[in-house]
Amino acid sequence: MLTFEQIKELIDLVSERELQGVEIERSGFKVRIDGKARGASPSTPPVQPAPAAAPAPAAPAPRPAVAGSDANAPAEEPELPEGGHVVTSPIVGTFYAAPNPESDPYVRVGDRVKTGQVLCIVEAMKLMNEIESDADGVILEIYVKNAQPVEYGEPLFALQTA
Amino acid sequence: MLRKILIANRGEIALRIIQACRELGIATVAVHSTADRESLHVTYADEAICIGPPASRESYLDVSSIVSAAEITGADGVHPGYGFLAENADFAEVVEDCKLTWIGPRPRSIRLMGDKAAARRTAEDAGVPVLPGSREPLTDARAARALADELGYPVILKAVAGGGGRGMRIVRAGEELEGLLATAGQEASKAFGDGSIYIEKYLVQPRHVEFQVLADGHGRVVHLGERECSIQRRHQKLIEEAPSPALTPELRSAMGEAAVRLSASVGYENAGTIEFLLDEDGSFYFMEMNTRIQVEHPVTEMVSGVDLVKWQIRIASGEPLTLPEGDFVPNGHAIECRINAEDPERFTPSPGRIDVYHPPGGPGIRVDTHAYEHYRIPPHYDSLVAKLIAWGEDRAEAVARMQRALDFFVVEGIKTTIPLHQRIMADRDFRAGRFSTRFMESFLAKKG
Repeated sequence: MLTFEQIKELIDLVSERELQGVEIERSGFKVRIDGKARGASPSTPPVQPAPAAAPAPAAPAPRPAVAGSDANAPAEEPELPEGGHVVTSPIVGTFYAAPNPESDPYVRVGDRVKTGQVLCIVEAMKLMNEIESDADGVILEIYVKNAQPVEYGEPLFALQTA
Repeated sequence: MLRKILIANRGEIALRIIQACRELGIATVAVHSTADRESLHVTYADEAICIGPPASRESYLDVSSIVSAAEITGADGVHPGYGFLAENADFAEVVEDCKLTWIGPRPRSIRLMGDKAAARRTAEDAGVPVLPGSREPLTDARAARALADELGYPVILKAVAGGGGRGMRIVRAGEELEGLLATAGQEASKAFGDGSIYIEKYLVQPRHVEFQVLADGHGRVVHLGERECSIQRRHQKLIEEAPSPALTPELRSAMGEAAVRLSASVGYENAGTIEFLLDEDGSFYFMEMNTRIQVEHPVTEMVSGVDLVKWQIRIASGEPLTLPEGDFVPNGHAIECRINAEDPERFTPSPGRIDVYHPPGGPGIRVDTHAYEHYRIPPHYDSLVAKLIAWGEDRAEAVARMQRALDFFVVEGIKTTIPLHQRIMADRDFRAGRFSTRFMESFLAKKG
């Protein structure tokens, strides 16, 4: 059974994140909170609302560069089509698209990649860390530029997995 | 002077450091976990780097993330704040190896004072009194008894390998010793894998009095007086004040001099705090040294007019101390109440969203906080919401101002320890300055 405080928190969550709704069920108890913005269907899971499907994905909202910027807005979630998946940086460092300056980049937009395949390098403290894909799919978009500083959780690649 | 400082911390102290940097014209880099995106230190820093998920181990304690963040932002200094990696000598060394300036003492000082046995020996070598006791683990009951008789009862038996109250026994009379020694040893053996016990004089009603020192890289060491920190619950400080109601100018001089002597003897640099236990008869004993800026530093700032964090930065930048010579005389009286997001009676944590937040202001009031209205206190870190500091021309005025400020401090949506502090401020013994480290124990028993 949820307390009044917990229900209040859920209402805040639905409202702040503009969710379609949330439904919680435990033995003998169920509560559903519908978001104000849209009519909710009872089985809608609590996810970010998907944008209208389009052949090409919408470009992510512009993010301030990590270094020397005034605003410290968090890296915004890029908008993705159905079956889209974002590979994010697991560490802080500098992004490199290729194993070394003379080589071709590891991947390009349109390449098909497998889970475990090296997509890029993030260099931290003079160590080159190979970043592996955590999904199978096709590269839709590369969000960062060569030699760009990246933080933990920074979106690097969009993959079409479906 | 340093150009850009990365603050390897969070919460109110990160904000405090950013404020000092702002005033000195130094750029700031905040590092934060994903749980702290909405934190004020992230908002006010010139740059912010997300370094990991909520767990401290993977963010604020992650040395490589923090150093990488310094690398990609071009920071030239790192301030560790308090807690987290502030007294991690390895981290300090890594920072220096990466050609960054560590804003704190030399790593070897951190290492030396972090070793309790070594710190104690250092104090003795500097002629600073330490609690009398056995230097080596006790070998047998008879030797222990002889030593205990010499020290005078009560004495305390402690595990060499441990802490946290285990393997500890208070012995109030000689006859009890043998039996308690055996049980303490067994307990220590089970808890730490080492049954060695040592013995120390036990002070019944000590006060915890600590001294603030500042040392530059040019050989000058000064102290800025004491802080009285006896109001503690389970070794967590709740209220601190400067000066201590128990110190005469003579005692301040003697203890301050000991603190300076100890710091100078190890070539200490930057800010540090030496903790003493003060017995009822005026004898004082070295306990430990904290090689960092402390939570309660504001009360010293209020009675000295010295900005300790700015001095930490200046010293790290190679500047000499320009504080006046001569004995330290505190100006007025300052008290700090730590406002935690906890139930004021059961002390259970109360994280969550602050619905209404209106801190007090007015004469003599300072609030160090990272909280704001609608801020959501994450459950992953400590529960400190705000430090409320009141200054008055004398202790009575400081107490009166603290009471007024506590009454006008509005925090809704979470529970806080404000009601607890209000009750302590109204307590007769507290108001009379009549207390020791046993205060909270009896205070909490009283109301129940």
